[in-house]
Amino acid sequence: MFELQNMTVRFSFGEALREASLRINPGDRIGIVGESGSGKSMLAACLMGMVPDAAELTGTLGVDGIDMTHASEAHWQTIRARRVAMIFQEPMSALNPLRRVGETVAEPMRVHLGLGKAQARARVSALFKEVGIPDPDSRLRMFPHELSGGQRQRVLIALALACDPELLIADEPTTALDANVALKITDLLVDLSRTRNMALVFISHDLAAVARATTDIAVMYGGDIVERGRTAEVLANPVHPYTQGLLAARPDPRAVPRDANGRRRRLPTIPGTVPPLYKLPQGCRFSGRCAVERSACAYVKPAPVGPRHATCHAITQDTL
Amino acid sequence: MTYFLLRRTFGFIATLIAVSIVVFAVMNVLPGDPALTILGMDATDDALAALRKELGLNDPLLARYFAWVGGALTGDFGTSHSFRVPVAELITERLAMTVSLAVAGMVLTLVIALSVGIFAAANHGKAGDWATMFISQLGIAVPAFWLSILLVLLFAVKLRWLPPGGFAGWSDPVAALRSLVLPTVALALVQSAVLARVTRSSALEVMRQDFTRTARASGLSQRRILWRHVLPNALVPIVTIVGMQFAALVTGTIVIENVFYLPGLGRLIFQSIANRDLPTVQALVMLFAVIVVTANFVVDLLYVLIDPRLKARA
Repeated sequence: MFELQNMTVRFSFGEALREASLRINPGDRIGIVGESGSGKSMLAACLMGMVPDAAELTGTLGVDGIDMTHASEAHWQTIRARRVAMIFQEPMSALNPLRRVGETVAEPMRVHLGLGKAQARARVSALFKEVGIPDPDSRLRMFPHELSGGQRQRVLIALALACDPELLIADEPTTALDANVALKITDLLVDLSRTRNMALVFISHDLAAVARATTDIAVMYGGDIVERGRTAEVLANPVHPYTQGLLAARPDPRAVPRDANGRRRRLPTIPGTVPPLYKLPQGCRFSGRCAVERSACAYVKPAPVGPRHATCHAITQDTL
Repeated sequence: MTYFLLRRTFGFIATLIAVSIVVFAVMNVLPGDPALTILGMDATDDALAALRKELGLNDPLLARYFAWVGGALTGDFGTSHSFRVPVAELITERLAMTVSLAVAGMVLTLVIALSVGIFAAANHGKAGDWATMFISQLGIAVPAFWLSILLVLLFAVKLRWLPPGGFAGWSDPVAALRSLVLPTVALALVQSAVLARVTRSSALEVMRQDFTRTARASGLSQRRILWRHVLPNALVPIVTIVGMQFAALVTGTIVIENVFYLPGLGRLIFQSIANRDLPTVQALVMLFAVIVVTANFVVDLLYVLIDPRLKARA
């Protein structure tokens, strides 16, 4: 079980993550959504022990009750692959181009589980089959450049599963893939999570993919988790102004493109852009772009309110 | 792949032919009469003419070129003017020395440069990186002959650990190896300074790539990631430089053999030039050129062995 409590990741130029708390139980499927620069990947880096050396960490990261916040690289090497594994956005560049993909997937098994060559090979073949790679015994002899993007992402999923982790983090796993392949990879991750009772943290800015893949969701903005809850509930009824803006900015294929007066409807957007870390407001990170902003918002950090833990001064127990 | 091999082999042979033409032309249009050199200023015209005829100097240039190439292909490089023995014999006697020096120098260069370069890359931006890069900058700035003299002063004259120079032959292997230690170190230090910097920057570039992160996410140790994932991917620029360095090492033995008074090809070429011993000089220049061209040919083949993507394209 993994648990982040009040985790803050501070660099000299600003905070990439602020007092983030997240509990991951076996079999959970949690979506993390937010724009680029919202701290999604930093949250994943915390769970992998791969935060850059320059950062200062405060708070706790518990792995089965052991605080790993300041654990050594050697200690993390015993956690990665065996307890928590990760797949990344770019399947094109995430595989060593000089190695046959079978070798790449076998390596953590041989290093961590002490498997022999033949054992590891059989296991790789079985994993390839499990992640939907056809003709696994010939594919494992191929080099990454001989495989398509979707196949490479499946190889990376197999690599992540090599040592049966309890938690799989998928950081924008489908962003680089075309829509049809993306859908299949999303469904594959859900199936794997179900059949292996493996927790899944699914990071994406694609709300449709998150809705499809996860049961719970955390919305991030500027290093804060601004709202959380059951995926279906949050997406149907967002309470935080940022989540509302994010959902409104979603193109709706059923929407009529012209209004009653015949004018072309414009897709609503959130005004402005995510400021760089060093320019984030002290208080609510969303102030400056928020439609319901009050005078204190930029200076006072809002406390989480209600079952959604929404961090917004405009939300009180009454308005919920 | 077959096409690639054929093309490279053809290029290799074509280069050798071009080199042989240039070497032959340069040696034969240079001013100076070999007959006069051999017989001295006091020789009679008759004696000179007779010798020119004997040496074949009156034949047309083209005929002399083909005679030379034909001989070279069968291992006959003519007779040395100054040593009065076949050039081939002179070369084979001294080849072992130069080849041992160059190969030992290359191996030592690789050991030092790869370890130092990877160490610096792993400690990027930290004290270890700065220190090694500062020392390697010094190493690049220092000429090999000057470094040799310093090494002799320290290890031979002051500490008396190793002989200052000379070579007593291979019959006593321990003594032979001892006399090769300082020349090898002198050759390798300067080359490894250059190669360490190339290794470092190439490794740093690879470490920024996504698959290094994937390896780390798989719980692999930093050591394993550096040597098994980063280094192989950093090899293409390293191998390019190594190819050029091997050529530089072979020619660098000319200087080093003279500083350490070692009986190798480097000393031979130096003596032959001083003696205007044309057949020997010609054969040696050709031999050095062959070594350089072969090194580059091997490098081309290595690229394909290193990177399977090139094999697909080749």
